[in-house]
Amino acid sequence: MKQEIHFVTGKGGVGKSVLAAALALKKSQEGKKTLLVELGDQSFFKDFFNLPQVGFQPVSIRPNLSLALWTGEACLQEYARHFIKVESLAKLFFENAVMKAFINVAPALPELAILGKVTSGPRKHGPALPFDCIVVDAFATGHFIALLEAPKGMAEAVQFGPMGEQSRSIDAHIRNPEICKYHVVTLPEELPLKEASELIARLKNEFGVTAELIMNKMIEAPVSEQTLQEVQSENSDLSKFAEYLDGHIRRQNQMWAQAQGLSPEVTRVPLYFESSAWALVEKTAEVLK
Amino acid sequence: MSLFKDTKVLVCVGSGGVGKTTIAASLAVLAAKEGKRVLVLTIDPAKRLAQTLGIEGTKDITKVPGQNFKGELYASVIDHKKTFDDFVARAAKKTESAQKIFNNSLYKQLSTNLSGSQEFTALEKLYSCYESGQFDLIVLDTPPTKHAIDFLNAPQKLSALFNEGVAKWFRDPEGKKGGFFGHLLQTGTRQVLKVLESLTGSNFIRELGDFFVNIEQWQGKLQARTIDVHRMLVAPTTQFCLVTAFDQAKLKEAEYFSREIKKGGYHLGTVVLNRVFPYWLDLRSAQDPGKGHEDLVKLYSQMRSYYNQRDQLYQQFESGMKNQARVFRIPDLVKDISDLGGLEELSALIVEGEKKA
Repeated sequence: MKQEIHFVTGKGGVGKSVLAAALALKKSQEGKKTLLVELGDQSFFKDFFNLPQVGFQPVSIRPNLSLALWTGEACLQEYARHFIKVESLAKLFFENAVMKAFINVAPALPELAILGKVTSGPRKHGPALPFDCIVVDAFATGHFIALLEAPKGMAEAVQFGPMGEQSRSIDAHIRNPEICKYHVVTLPEELPLKEASELIARLKNEFGVTAELIMNKMIEAPVSEQTLQEVQSENSDLSKFAEYLDGHIRRQNQMWAQAQGLSPEVTRVPLYFESSAWALVEKTAEVLK
Repeated sequence: MSLFKDTKVLVCVGSGGVGKTTIAASLAVLAAKEGKRVLVLTIDPAKRLAQTLGIEGTKDITKVPGQNFKGELYASVIDHKKTFDDFVARAAKKTESAQKIFNNSLYKQLSTNLSGSQEFTALEKLYSCYESGQFDLIVLDTPPTKHAIDFLNAPQKLSALFNEGVAKWFRDPEGKKGGFFGHLLQTGTRQVLKVLESLTGSNFIRELGDFFVNIEQWQGKLQARTIDVHRMLVAPTTQFCLVTAFDQAKLKEAEYFSREIKKGGYHLGTVVLNRVFPYWLDLRSAQDPGKGHEDLVKLYSQMRSYYNQRDQLYQQFESGMKNQARVFRIPDLVKDISDLGGLEELSALIVEGEKKA
C-alpha cells in the first residue's frame, strides 16, 4: 500500500491538534496503520489523552493508531546514526558542543530533518517508518510555511552533494498531491480565517497544492433567526444568551460564506461540549471527509 | 493602574491564538489614558486593529489617530527583515561587508526563516526604542510561539550559534591557527566535520564557512546586545504579562511558564485569562432561562454547564497562581475590535478584572 501523509495546520488556538487526532483516528478506523506525529519537545496529547509516556519512538494509543513526538534534533540524530553506523563516531558528532548549538538553530536544518523523516517512506530513504498513513499535527501557520520552504531554500543554498540531493527529493515529495495532503483549520473568526486564507493561497502559489479548509467549532443554531430576535426582547438570562447567539451566528455565517471561495474542499466541524478527550476526538472524526 | 507603576517595559507573552495583540493594545490605551507617552509594538495585528492603530500598510512608528487621551499613544508593526538588516548594517564596519552578508544565501534563510529570528528582532526593536528614551512605557506584543516560554529561550539559542567557538570552528576547521589546544580540538573536529560532510556534502560546509567568515564582525556586537537586552528584561522596571486562554492544556502551560519565568529572574506581574466566559454568562446567578423555546434552553444549559466545569479549573488555577502574580479574567466579547472605542471598552474590562483580582 502507498503511504499517505497528512499535514494539519492553522493559527494557534483553533483546535488543530484535536483535528489532527480525529483525522488519524478516522484513518486508523479505515484499517490503515496510522501514526499521529507531534512536532516540538513538549507533547500536547500526553496530558490530553492522559498517557504515561510520549516520545520519539511511536507508542500505540488505540488499535491501528500510534503516537510520536519529534524534534528536528531527534530526527537528525536518527538519520545520522542510520548512515554513520559507527556508534562512537555518531556520539562524537552529537555530543560536540558546537554541533549541538548549530543543530538547534541552523537555518532550515531541523525543518529539513523533520520533513525528511515524514517523507522517508515514499522516498525510500533513511530508517523505515512502517505505517500506511502519517498525520502530522504541524506547526501553526507562520512556522508551517517556514517548515515547507526549508527544502527549497536549502536546495538553493547547497546545490551539490547529498544535502542538495535530499533537499530536492523532499521538496518534490511535499509538492506531490498524490502523497501529501494539507488541511488548514480555522475558527469562524476574522483573524484565524485571514491566516488560513493567506496560507492556502501560498500553498497554491508556491507549492502547487490544494489544501482542505476545516472550519472548526461551528455552533448549530437550534432555532430560527426570527425566534432568536423575539427571545432577545424578553427580559431573562435567556434573552442575553439569545442576543449573544444571534451575533455569533451572524458572524459565523459571514465567515462560512467567505470560506467557500477559498478552497474547493471546505469542511464544517460543529462545536462539541465534551469533557472527555476521546469522546471529542471520536465525534470530530465522524464529521471529517 | 498599579500594573504601570514604575514600569518602563511591559512584555505580553503567551502561546498562539490567545489574543496577545489585542490585550497589548488595550493595555497601551490604558496607560495613555493615565497620561503616559506609550508605544505599542505589535507583530501581526488583525486588519481592523491595524486600521484602528493607524499602522495598516506602514511599519514606521505612528501616532494613533483619533485619540484624546491625557498621554499619547504610538504604535508600530515590527518589520523583522528590516530590523535584522539594520542590525547587520550597524554591526558591519564597512558597507561592502554588510552587502556581502546580505548576499549570502544562508543569511537570506537566517534573517527570515531561522527559528528564533523573529524573537530576536522583536527584542532588538524593543531595545532600540527603549534605549532612545522617547517613551514612558513600551508595550511589546511577542511573536506567535507554540509555548509561551519559547519566546525567552529563542534569543539565547540564536546567540549560542554566534558564540566565538561555533564561528571559529567553521572558519578554521583545520585548526591551523591552533597551537596545543588547536591540535587537541583538531582530531575531534576533523572527524565531526567529516561526518557532517558525508551527510551534507562539501558544498554545504563551504557555504557555512563563508557565512561565518562574513558574520565575524558582528559577533561581538551581537553578544554585547544580548547582554544589554537581558539586563533590560530582568530589570524591575520590566514587567511580564502572561496572556492565556480557555483550556486545560493552556492553563497547565501558564503554570509552568510562571515558574520558569521566576527562575529566570524576570518579573511576572500579571496573568490575563482572556476570553474566559462569554459576557452573557453569570455563573453566580441562579439559572433562570425563562419559559418556552425548548431547543434554545437546551443549548443554553449545555453551554452553561460546560462553562461551569471550566470555572472549577479556573478557580484552581487562580488559587495556585495567587502568590506569584495577579490574575485577571476577561470575558469573551465576541465582536472584533474595530475602533479605538472597542479598545477602550476592552481596557475597561481589564480594569474591572483587576478590581476583582
